[in-house]
Amino acid sequence: MTVSLLARSFRSTAIAAGVLSRAHRVGYVRDLLFVLVSRDMKLRYKRSILGILWTLLNPLAQLLTLSFMFRTVLPLDIPRYTSFLFCGLLVWTWFQASLSQATVTIVENSELIKRPGFPTAILPTVTVTSHLVHFLIALPVLWLFLVLDGSRVTSAMLALPLVMALQFIWTLSLAYLLATFYVTFRDTQYLLGVVLQLLFYLTPVFYDASAIPARYQLLYGLNPMVHLLNAYRAILLRGELPEPLWSLLVLGLLAIGLLIFSYGHFTRVSYRFVEEV
Amino acid sequence: MGHAIVVRGLSKQFRRYHPDRPRTLQEACLHGFRRRGLTEHFWALHDVSFSIAPGRMVGVIGANGAGKSTLLRLIGGVGRPDAGHVEVRGRIGALLSLGAGFHHDLTGRENVYVNGVITGLTRREVAQRFDAIVAFAELQEFIDNPMRTYSTGMQIRLAFAIAVHVEPEILLIDEVLSVGDMAFGRKCIERIAQFKAQGCTIILVSHGMTLLGELCDEALWLHTGRLAAYGPTDVVVSQYVAAVDAETQQSTAAAPQQQQ
Repeated sequence: MTVSLLARSFRSTAIAAGVLSRAHRVGYVRDLLFVLVSRDMKLRYKRSILGILWTLLNPLAQLLTLSFMFRTVLPLDIPRYTSFLFCGLLVWTWFQASLSQATVTIVENSELIKRPGFPTAILPTVTVTSHLVHFLIALPVLWLFLVLDGSRVTSAMLALPLVMALQFIWTLSLAYLLATFYVTFRDTQYLLGVVLQLLFYLTPVFYDASAIPARYQLLYGLNPMVHLLNAYRAILLRGELPEPLWSLLVLGLLAIGLLIFSYGHFTRVSYRFVEEV
Repeated sequence: MGHAIVVRGLSKQFRRYHPDRPRTLQEACLHGFRRRGLTEHFWALHDVSFSIAPGRMVGVIGANGAGKSTLLRLIGGVGRPDAGHVEVRGRIGALLSLGAGFHHDLTGRENVYVNGVITGLTRREVAQRFDAIVAFAELQEFIDNPMRTYSTGMQIRLAFAIAVHVEPEILLIDEVLSVGDMAFGRKCIERIAQFKAQGCTIILVSHGMTLLGELCDEALWLHTGRLAAYGPTDVVVSQYVAAVDAETQQSTAAAPQQQQ
């Protein structure tokens, strides 16, 4: 009787301790993510006069060039082209910048991964989150363009966080793969540069996806960024829910599947990183 | 009462890279992904076993490349052993490398936060300890300057201050303390002694035999990745010193021009 009571109390103490340490672990990872993302932000804006404006300067400069190009030189006749284009540029910048930086993040943070207890797997997440913050900083400017172009805000806007979450997962799953690859093959970043440049033209950033001839649509649709951008534009420019919804659902399932695979692969090989960097 | 650290049959193999090893995808493709050059291996640690009781302080000695830093890293959970295992009971505080994860463009203050959280504190815990950390490092006037203006000694002071303020139960220190000046060195040693008195288990890598003799209960001698001796500090240190003396004599005698 006494023994079983003792055993039970011992077990409950052990369980309480386990729960406590897990809660502490969650708090720790959250804090770590916070300090590393804010470190990224600070480093980016340290020693610069324009500070946070740099986040906007790059897409705005692209906006100026491309909108001159496709409104005046080669007119595309897309209504509300400024908001159309800026939406594309912001979404693309988040994707492209995250992947470029995530590729080198392990090597650049080699000091950190040599610290006892440092969870290496947090690094690609930090990169993608940092660029999400840049995206969020630029979002009000996009809204300004939308209002000036006469877009209406509808309840479809509620779906925006979902689409962003979808993009986050996609980008993250690719980020883990690239980060793993770069540790062994250092020219991954040049190769990625080439691939991203090609993808820029194969993603409807400055043109509409409907301009692609029907016989190429199936092939064209293999690029997940096509569906993501279409969804963003449906919500932001037309105030509608993205169509067809099932394509986003499929995209979400694929993204989660890929993330499980690439994260798993990353954690399996990450113990070697310390020796390789 | 169990041990604080148990190391059993610990082995770590490193590859000695062949100059032809592909470092880029391009080279790998040209070589047809043949795994050439990866055949040469050497043991950085080979079948090392020992255990340390809680509250003991152990000094690790041995020549450069004997596996001391590798041992400390594996105990800290950095990297994975090729054989054997390490059991550690308690929160680890560590000072393993000079850079210690500081970023040169951030201020000392910002680095304390980043570093404190990396070491295992929450942000609130860092905030609570912040003044104590800065005071211990004696860097009050410089804490808002960028890290790149700090000397190496100042960086180590800050790193040590953070490492000891996480209230570790196990402290791992690689031979970095010699970088600080004498006054700070003494302060560190005092602090280490204080930790020891509180029951903290400490492993210290050092080439300072007197320091080890004063502080450590036991010494562990690594020779080319193998455990050469483990026991009371004075015994192991004198064995090590005798071995080094003999080796020096031999290599000096071997040079023909030195012979009479």
